[in-house]
Amino acid sequence: MATSPAEAQEIQLTGPLAGAPAVRKLRLYREGRLELSPSVSFTLLDEYQRTIMPGLRATYHFTDWLGVGVWGGYGIQYTTNLTDELQEKAIDNRDCSNRGFDKACRLTAGNLTRGNLAEDQLGRMQWVAAPQLTFIPFRGKLALFAELFVDTDVNIFVGPAFVGLQERRECGPSGTACSDPESFQLESRLAVAPTFGLGLNFYPTSFFGFGVEYRGLPFAWNTSGFDNYGGGPNQDFPDTAVNGDDRQFFFNSLLTLNLTFFLPTKVKIQD
Amino acid sequence: MNQARVGLFVAAALLAVPLTASAQQPQQPKEINLDEPEAPEETETPAGAPVDVPTEEGDSGLGDICKIDPAACPSIDMDKAAARDLKEEVYAVQQIYALRRHRFEVNPYWAVTMNDQFAGHPGPGLAVNWYITNVLAVGVNGNFYAGLNSVSDFNFQTSRAARVGQPITEYAWNANANFTYVPAYGKFAGFGDFIFHYDFYVVGGVGAISTRPIAVVDPDNRTFNFEPKISFRLGGGLRIFFNRWFAAMLEVSDYIFFDKLENPSIPQVREQAQNPDTWLAEGTNFTNNVQAQVGISIFLPFTWEYRLPK
Repeated sequence: MATSPAEAQEIQLTGPLAGAPAVRKLRLYREGRLELSPSVSFTLLDEYQRTIMPGLRATYHFTDWLGVGVWGGYGIQYTTNLTDELQEKAIDNRDCSNRGFDKACRLTAGNLTRGNLAEDQLGRMQWVAAPQLTFIPFRGKLALFAELFVDTDVNIFVGPAFVGLQERRECGPSGTACSDPESFQLESRLAVAPTFGLGLNFYPTSFFGFGVEYRGLPFAWNTSGFDNYGGGPNQDFPDTAVNGDDRQFFFNSLLTLNLTFFLPTKVKIQD
Repeated sequence: MNQARVGLFVAAALLAVPLTASAQQPQQPKEINLDEPEAPEETETPAGAPVDVPTEEGDSGLGDICKIDPAACPSIDMDKAAARDLKEEVYAVQQIYALRRHRFEVNPYWAVTMNDQFAGHPGPGLAVNWYITNVLAVGVNGNFYAGLNSVSDFNFQTSRAARVGQPITEYAWNANANFTYVPAYGKFAGFGDFIFHYDFYVVGGVGAISTRPIAVVDPDNRTFNFEPKISFRLGGGLRIFFNRWFAAMLEVSDYIFFDKLENPSIPQVREQAQNPDTWLAEGTNFTNNVQAQVGISIFLPFTWEYRLPK
């Protein structure tokens, strides 16, 4: 049986393909095309509430490696096991509405609603809109089960994000006392944060593709509605007020699955 | 003269070979290989095959074809035929750049907890795999957590704010026997300039994980010892090859097991509270320890020979 040493790439570098471009006849999926991507995003590593965010991304690509566009989505929340456990053990079972004298009820009066935890005090991402620049540094192909071959690329993106939040409304000594049941309401706020990430895209046809994307969205917010900070040394202790001091920095992460449609549908092919 | 014969054979091939050959059919002629030696001057001619007849004038054009097959003579325009799009066959991946078959993979990594908000279980790990085929491997891996577990601020803040103690556990070690399957591999051109190779893999296995509760409900009376439990592993990852034996890897693995947690209630009688039989909650808790593993892969031996030429 004939054998040859494992030098395939080196032969290409020094052989008749020396000096030739890495790829010929490249299909330019993006250059001069509008990309429309319906998507669904899932937040990761959530403490109290998870968010599923249906959304849409529209990007125009000036070249095959650079585009500008906008991504946006609307958040739908559901609770984590921790929230369900708190609701059951710390709210429903204690029944503080009728047993306000109980020690645990008195100690948690400023931190726990006597109604529904998710609706009254947990922070939520209502919507996100993010204009962004998209770069496509890597183009390639993928063999699946050594039978199916599909063009792929990797894109990275960066831009500002505008996040519509709902957080527990501010309360404390200067306003409504945090132990007042009226203080357990959500209030809207707009947060501005950087957003960035990368995606892996597959192109089974010239005008349709699909992909997966990771997005970082770091900003500070109060996910629990608790009074955690603002008092004591270094403001590391509760101060009987819920306000901006109680916001914590989170590296919010989203995983997005998307379908991609390109317009016009005809793809250019490089020389 | 030799060039003339090559030209004739190319022209004959243009007529004989359908030009719509699909790219991935291996039984089709593969590619023009310029590294192959030139054909000898005289070769045996199969019966019925066209015969190269030298002309008296040394004619190297259509005259030779006309002598072989006069019927084809007027229909060939050599310039047009040469300009036709050949749609030559090129394999998507010519030869697998980093062949895995019959090689060991040594994979040291660092693991970080992804889904435990209350306690972190970071630690080093090592996997060793043997590739039975190019896509299937058997191997073992282990994680070492002892002394590296950390209770999060989040645990403290939640307990303080809600007056609810959340049972937490720490891990000592974890070991598994695994199967690894590589369903997808490919390559990327970076900035249209250089090429690197990558693959995706999935891994599944069975093993044991040693855990114990951290006493938070009654730390005055309770201390726990590590005990191994059966664990199952499911995961998937990405490897990016820098050369034929060295790669960076990123993997997410879920180590699934049934954990024993601290009893959230304390017996009123002191003697009972100090009885270890009362320290654990009834039943077991289905636990997913999802961790991200980042590391490198070294394939041994460093070099090999392809079974077939390119």
